[in-house]
Amino acid sequence: MATAEVSNKKTLKVQRFKPSDNPSNTYLTDEKGVWAWMTTVDHKKIGIMYLVAVAIFFAVGGALALLLRTELMTPAKTFIEADTYNQLFTLHGAIMVFFVLVPSIPAALGNFIMPMQLGAKDVAFPKLNLASFYIYVAGAIFTFIALAQHGLDTGWTFYTPYSTESSSSVIWVTMGVFILGFSSILTGTNFITTIHKMRAPGITWGKLPLNVWALYATSIIQVLATPVLAITVLLLTMERWLGFGIFDPALGGDPVLFQHFFWFYSHPAVYIMIVPGFGIISEVISTFSKKTVFGYWAIALSSLAIAFIGFLVWGHHMFTSGQSAVATTVFSFLTFLVGIPTGIKIFNWIATLYKGSIKMDTPMIYVFIFLFLFSIGGFTGIMLGALSVDIHLHDTYYVVAHFHYVMMGGTLIALLAGLHFWWPKMTGKLYNEKLAKIASVFIFVGFNVTFLPQFVMGAQGMPRRYYNYVDQFTAFHQTSTIGSYLLGVGFLIILYYLMHSLFKGAKSPANPWGSRGLEWQATSPPDFHNFDHTPVVIHGPYDYHQPMEEFQLGLAVDTNGHDSETAKEVVDKEREQWKNYSLG
Amino acid sequence: MSNHSQAHPAHLQHHFVDSDQQFDAAKMGMWVFIVNEILFFGGLFCAYIVFRAWYPDLFTMAATKLDTTMGAINTVVLIGSSLSVAMAIRAAQLNKTKWIKINLLITITLACVFLVIKYFEYSHKMHDGIFPGATLYTYEGIDHPLAHVFFSIYYVMTGIHAIHIIVGIGLMIWIYIRAKRNEFGSEYYTPVEMVGLYWHLVDVIWIFLFPLLYLIE
Amino acid sequence: MILSEDKTMSEHNHHEHHVSSVGQLWAIGIALTLLTILTVGLSHVEIPAPFDVVVALTVAFVKAFLVCAFFMNLYWDTKFNSMLLIGAFAFFILMVAVTLLDTLYRNDVVPSF
Ligand code: HEM
Ligand SMILES: [Cu+2]
Repeated sequence: MATAEVSNKKTLKVQRFKPSDNPSNTYLTDEKGVWAWMTTVDHKKIGIMYLVAVAIFFAVGGALALLLRTELMTPAKTFIEADTYNQLFTLHGAIMVFFVLVPSIPAALGNFIMPMQLGAKDVAFPKLNLASFYIYVAGAIFTFIALAQHGLDTGWTFYTPYSTESSSSVIWVTMGVFILGFSSILTGTNFITTIHKMRAPGITWGKLPLNVWALYATSIIQVLATPVLAITVLLLTMERWLGFGIFDPALGGDPVLFQHFFWFYSHPAVYIMIVPGFGIISEVISTFSKKTVFGYWAIALSSLAIAFIGFLVWGHHMFTSGQSAVATTVFSFLTFLVGIPTGIKIFNWIATLYKGSIKMDTPMIYVFIFLFLFSIGGFTGIMLGALSVDIHLHDTYYVVAHFHYVMMGGTLIALLAGLHFWWPKMTGKLYNEKLAKIASVFIFVGFNVTFLPQFVMGAQGMPRRYYNYVDQFTAFHQTSTIGSYLLGVGFLIILYYLMHSLFKGAKSPANPWGSRGLEWQATSPPDFHNFDHTPVVIHGPYDYHQPMEEFQLGLAVDTNGHDSETAKEVVDKEREQWKNYSLG
Repeated sequence: MSNHSQAHPAHLQHHFVDSDQQFDAAKMGMWVFIVNEILFFGGLFCAYIVFRAWYPDLFTMAATKLDTTMGAINTVVLIGSSLSVAMAIRAAQLNKTKWIKINLLITITLACVFLVIKYFEYSHKMHDGIFPGATLYTYEGIDHPLAHVFFSIYYVMTGIHAIHIIVGIGLMIWIYIRAKRNEFGSEYYTPVEMVGLYWHLVDVIWIFLFPLLYLIE
Repeated sequence: MILSEDKTMSEHNHHEHHVSSVGQLWAIGIALTLLTILTVGLSHVEIPAPFDVVVALTVAFVKAFLVCAFFMNLYWDTKFNSMLLIGAFAFFILMVAVTLLDTLYRNDVVPSF
């Protein structure tokens, strides 16, 4: 090699680091105790804290949903008052969207896994990461204050003018959402910087795991869209408090402008929810087919395409709102475009399965459930995007079914796939496969029994957010309610075997699935610093045709820069530093 | 990883490989944060544009109540503070701790001047009954049914900007204290530079607010 | 085992940070002040309707450019940071443009409810 070229090429001395199946030191054994957890800046612990918080909110939101469905067992009043019903569906929606789905995959699983997939020790700004968790908690507290006051009955969309008139505690919740938004913004900012600046040697853009690409696209949406939500709820607060006259028609404002603002965030937000799910699907599908993903770049770039087009379609929520005819037409057309990158992904996943050695473990089962349910959700989305059809279907149960197919059938199922996939990595424990499979059957069947009838009754004219209904819809509603109980049972089974695994589960080896992903080349659970060497990557993350040894490389110890120190000393020294590295 | 064989400098956080990586990451993070801020104010500018396109008369009539001279003085004050913050960064780069502190003090002073002028503007209007929002608004002098809408937009835009100024003052005091402890020099001045970027952003936003609110005729 | 790696991707080349000269900074500061005086002056000149805004905004953009390029050092910085700024602005424009597509083309300005 000529010397002139040397400036651009660097020679790295590497050696193999086989992860131990019996690690003595892990992130769970270091830094023990409640206080250590609460003040940790370790991305893995913060991820776990998010996971617990999200699970709690999911339980609350889910319980509310079961109450709603129970009330709808009979056409008239079953057991709660109409006002209470309005509060319950509002809280259910707000909790599930803002407190569960938006933070679920990026902040919980993403926080844990993404730095490991980059071979980094942590995210770029660890303190900011912890701060965003507490901001999330603060947002939650505001929402609970609202509950203790007069609740909220505007629907999760806060449409004016009702939200300026309602006697419920709108301001507490809008302030809660405002604060929550910052948590999301900070996570996004942190992730973008981490992905750019913290990659281990050898991880080029072409070797980034697709999960990281998905989180990258998500973070871009978070950073661009969430500030608009913040300003929207702030203006709404002012409208309610001081009568600003921007959104309230009685004071000369324009309620449709509120909807523009709201959906400028909230349509991209549906991609904040689903795109990280896409990332999980890519990881799992390749691992359990033992095959390179088909169309790496197509999947990676379609995430970015979705992120971009997602900003151009918000008006499809406003077809019947009095929006101008020009705008509706343009929005309808642009909405169809979103289907293209989404379709590209689905086809590439299917092509990845083709001739793979498919292993139907639980994560893979959830991938198939995802492919099935999300496709239905996506297609019905395209139906709703068709202007003339939507005039009929808007604000009916058809829309409710659509977004449950994408949000629950898509995001939540992907979350379950990811949770089952990475559970051994996060906890170092295996779970009961048999129970897991039984639960997945409950979830799949329960889901379809709940939401398939909603398409039918929606198309027949059953409006959404109604407390009573005409007798004609009784059978559909009752089927739906029974389905929701099945879903509930499914989730209880999951809760049971995961808790069992946590406390009594068998030990997991470092890489139970034989994955080539970098995160699997750390111990299970990982070391405090993820790896006790600097990983070096030479193959793509899905190169299953290459031997496992070549995925376990790291900078050779004696040239780790610390010439005179042995590997052990390096680790110890950094541990020391880490301990002094506290908040403030 | 080029000069890793040197001992870790005190400011280098454990998860970075070297100071360069740390600096670049901080700077990029700051720019991503600026993206946020642009979209945040963007929502307000969007409301402004929509209403101005609907009611051009309202804006022409109501803007006469704004004091152009005070606005212009404040613009120059902010430009001066941007200059002094840039000087503070330069001083840090050249290891002149004394000048970091002097320039920061100048910036803080100018920021306070800005707020004082803003306070006079606000109190003058409120004295006339010009408040944000229809609930409090009582001024009769503008013959337009939506006069309160203009002032809602005016107050919320300048108010959020002022909050940014206050936050900026807080940040600069923090930087000042750290400079006093001799924490900055040519090797490490990341926080000075980041606060500087933030401050310039606040200036840029005012650069747009000024003509759009005060200079309508 | 020895590997050679393309340095451009994940490595961070050591680069010098730009240090502006005092003269440079003052020049920008003075230019900004002059532009402020200019824009106030222009506001007293009668310019027909849409163009008064265009003129005022043009001056504002020049000022913003000066601040971003020379105070915020974008001129010497990696192109990516400039791209972030331009991207953010593009998305803001997109938001406004698409919203106007509705608000400017309604039958009634504010639909009656
Ligand atoms: C192919 C992609 C998609 C298309 C074309 C699409 C289209 C639509 C349309 C046109 C509506 C408005 C229906 C109406 O209110 O009349 C809608 C509603 C909705 N969509 Fe989608 N959608 C897609 C994917 C998604 C995804 C991935 C999610 C979330 C993960 C999602 C979540 C929602 C939600 C929450 C609503 C209802 C909001 C409300 O009014 O409360 N959609 N969708
Ligand atoms: Cu949408």
